[in-house]
Amino acid sequence: MADAIVSVPASARPGEVVEIRALVRHPMETGFRHTQTGERIPRNIITQFECSYLGAEVFRATLHPSITANPMLVFALRATFSGRIEFRWSGDNGFSVTESATISVA
Amino acid sequence: MLGLPALATPEEMQAAMARITGGANVRRGRVKLQLPPLVENGNSVEFSVIVDSPMTETDYVKAIHVFTEKNPQPYVINAYLGPRAGRARITTRTRLADSQTVHAVAELSDGSFWSDSVSVVVTLSACIGNLV
Amino acid sequence: METINLNRRSFLVSSAVAGGGLALGLQLPFGITAAQAAETTPEINAWVVIKPDDSVVIRVARSEMGQGTITGLAQLVVEELECDWSKVSTEYPTPGENLKRNRVWQSYSTGGSRGIRTSHDYVRRGGAAARMMLMQAAADQWKVPVNQLTVNKGVIAHGASGRKVTYGKVAAAAAKLTPPDEKAIKLKDPKSWKVIGKPMKRFGTVDKVTGRQVYGADLKLPGMVNATIMECPVFGGKLKSFDAAKVTGMKGVKQVLRVGDTAVAVVADTWWHAKKALDALPVEWDFGDNVKVSSASIAEVLKAGLEAPQAFVGNKAGDIQSAIKGAAKTIDAVYEYPYQNHAPMEPMNATARYTPDRCEVWVPTQDGEASFAAALEASGLTADKCEVYKIDLGGGFGRRGAFQDYVKQAVLIAKQMPGTPVKLLWSREEDMRQGRYHPVMQCKLTGSFDSANNLTGLHMRLSGQSILASVRPAIVEKAGGKDPLTFQGVADSGEHSIGYTFPNLLIDHAMRNPHVPPGFWRGVNINQNAVFIECFMDELAHAAGQDPLEFRRKFMAQHPRNLGVLNAVAERIGWSKPAPKGRFRGLAQMKAFDSFVAAACEISVDSTGNKVKVHRIVAATDPGYAVNPAQIERQIAGSFVYGLSALFMQECTVKDGRIEQDNFHVYNSMRIAQMPKVESIIMPTGGPIWGGIGEPTICVAAPAVLNAYFKATGKRLRSVPLKNQGIELV
Repeated sequence: MADAIVSVPASARPGEVVEIRALVRHPMETGFRHTQTGERIPRNIITQFECSYLGAEVFRATLHPSITANPMLVFALRATFSGRIEFRWSGDNGFSVTESATISVA
Repeated sequence: MLGLPALATPEEMQAAMARITGGANVRRGRVKLQLPPLVENGNSVEFSVIVDSPMTETDYVKAIHVFTEKNPQPYVINAYLGPRAGRARITTRTRLADSQTVHAVAELSDGSFWSDSVSVVVTLSACIGNLV
Repeated sequence: METINLNRRSFLVSSAVAGGGLALGLQLPFGITAAQAAETTPEINAWVVIKPDDSVVIRVARSEMGQGTITGLAQLVVEELECDWSKVSTEYPTPGENLKRNRVWQSYSTGGSRGIRTSHDYVRRGGAAARMMLMQAAADQWKVPVNQLTVNKGVIAHGASGRKVTYGKVAAAAAKLTPPDEKAIKLKDPKSWKVIGKPMKRFGTVDKVTGRQVYGADLKLPGMVNATIMECPVFGGKLKSFDAAKVTGMKGVKQVLRVGDTAVAVVADTWWHAKKALDALPVEWDFGDNVKVSSASIAEVLKAGLEAPQAFVGNKAGDIQSAIKGAAKTIDAVYEYPYQNHAPMEPMNATARYTPDRCEVWVPTQDGEASFAAALEASGLTADKCEVYKIDLGGGFGRRGAFQDYVKQAVLIAKQMPGTPVKLLWSREEDMRQGRYHPVMQCKLTGSFDSANNLTGLHMRLSGQSILASVRPAIVEKAGGKDPLTFQGVADSGEHSIGYTFPNLLIDHAMRNPHVPPGFWRGVNINQNAVFIECFMDELAHAAGQDPLEFRRKFMAQHPRNLGVLNAVAERIGWSKPAPKGRFRGLAQMKAFDSFVAAACEISVDSTGNKVKVHRIVAATDPGYAVNPAQIERQIAGSFVYGLSALFMQECTVKDGRIEQDNFHVYNSMRIAQMPKVESIIMPTGGPIWGGIGEPTICVAAPAVLNAYFKATGKRLRSVPLKNQGIELV
């Protein structure tokens, strides 16, 4: 899959609450596992997810090792005006992925 | 290899919850944690947290925190919302190491905390008996 | 297609109408009897239903797969209930009901030889509580103190007044009473058992013999369609594409469907039409990298593990390195055990019906709750909308508990045909190709001796696949990367602890996990561990110039129960006396699943060394408590068929990333003429722990035979199956 896939309705009425889905490719290595030969596999997870709409944050999350690989997040936002929705994932080892979408509100 | 907690305990989870809530009183209600009561292996369990809130500028959900009792560490996710979210509902997927109770705590704009919890049975854990 | 309301009553009536016959309906689990019980006759508690005619229905959570567990569990309840055994039948409460009632029936898991040993206490308490409530109801009716009453075979009596009443007459009143406090329930002393410990006739035998038993593979529901499936034969590969157009015109074909990322299914009016179409369907797979893997490449990796510097330690005493270094002599040997398949007589199947409001599954399963969890996940519905109906299994052996792939497949297919019951039945070839295989393992054993020929140390290095790393990684994580299950039978403590004490010992495991999906084959890791250690003990005895039994006894002073079963088989086989001419003996022992087991056999081998006849095989088992001795004898014999078939004839090999053996012509099994008479010694010694029966004994037959073979020929066999060395069982 691509690094990230987001699902945003193309359009909405003003004030309508819409569902946003965000999926990112990442192993979410917990840091608790070991190799077959007993070496601990270091933690490598996404720790932060941010979503902003029209430049202001609408949703943010701190992720922990319990979250499964290729983390999926579903949340909501209230559509106000047409504009961009920005998504950003960041985490261990300098991981940083961004994605964006536009929503048309009328 | 030594020094890692084998699995967290309910006590560690309570401590983690207390850190988040600052020791404030957490009441049951207004929060609905949706989680299947039975899962086969716990490798990937989808869950939702829904909080009953109008999500207006003056009455909204500030954050939703999810905890487990028996994963290697107690935190699952800390989600931060706000009035622009429109609806206090999140869905994601967690790993569950064993049969256990999962807790969701919501912090509201008025500073109150509300919670829900669900017990999940991992059917595979009966299969293997008392090993560790 | 008409919508059929498949509640419990109506589908039974319709199946009669559809030509299934009322007899068929009555065999289905949780059918009319249960519906009647729920609506017209009282449940005393979750475990016991008593009808007005005094017949008793015992609820059973575990699954019957030929091991006799429902009879044994009923015996446990009935012992405390004190009803008439001749009036007893059993039923399976559904997993959905268990959930609704806060898991009142607790675990449904039937595996690990634990059906009886982990539930005996609470099911007996369930029977006792019901008895106490029935007697209280009679006492209330007669207005006498309950301690003046006695009960026998479901008849309550008040000696002083001569009054009597049967359970059926007080059941309704008893059902209204408050259950007794846990602390008030006292279980009977085993010395006074009348039903437990007796060879009660098994429920269901007549139906199996006369063909009335309905298995999942036989199930017929109104409006049902039939499906068969093929998953990518190279594990880890994916389904790329298929050309449905080539088969949709074939007779009976209804649908050709993708199932998940890895499988394609054909749905037709009959199973045969579905199979023919699937066989003719052009399919393209993306096999992935695992297509390069073969048994030879796996063996190379495992061989290297035998000498690798790192391994997970399972059992340790003293200092083996010093013992070996300072030894007067050392001997070593390398053994190997292959992948095995469960190959139950009934291939994997599940029947599912899906609508957005309800998902129902009918399935032979070792764990009704695991099937329920699988149905939940695959349907995407909430628990209140799902249900699973358990059907007796045509063999489980560990394939049908931890693995519910066929349930998920059936639901995924049914989801694409809402409202229609879909019976998914795998072909034998699919069952052989999509197993959850007993893991491949090699073992290097080294023994050190002092100058007086005393064994000073043993190093057992296992190299091979971990089951739990794949199936239950949380346990491996918790143990720092180690799989504790690998050491079954040679562990340092617990239900599978080693039956010897050595001054210096190291048992370790170089974990090497090929891509083949592992699973729990009957006995699990005791199968290869018993071959490894019990054959090497004979090698050590031989190197020390000692008798194999005498040699073992030296290390068993701290293992009296192991010694007990070993001595029992030795005595029965006549170990201290010479064997008949041309016959040779071997023995073996192990503790597994909290039971102590041993075997001794007598074989003859022809002059070529290729034809082996097993004339006698003696088994001893000490499970602590023996609920049904007749059933234990049968389990022992059945386990020997399973274990000896594997020893002589069975292996699953890998070529081009897939399992080669696809049917019984290349994965053979013993026939009746080859099967020796099994002499069973059942010697329960009581105590606080109840041991299992289904699995432990399987492990001792093979090493006993291998040890006898050495006696007969002077040749050590260290690789299974024996057919690969030209040896056959006659």
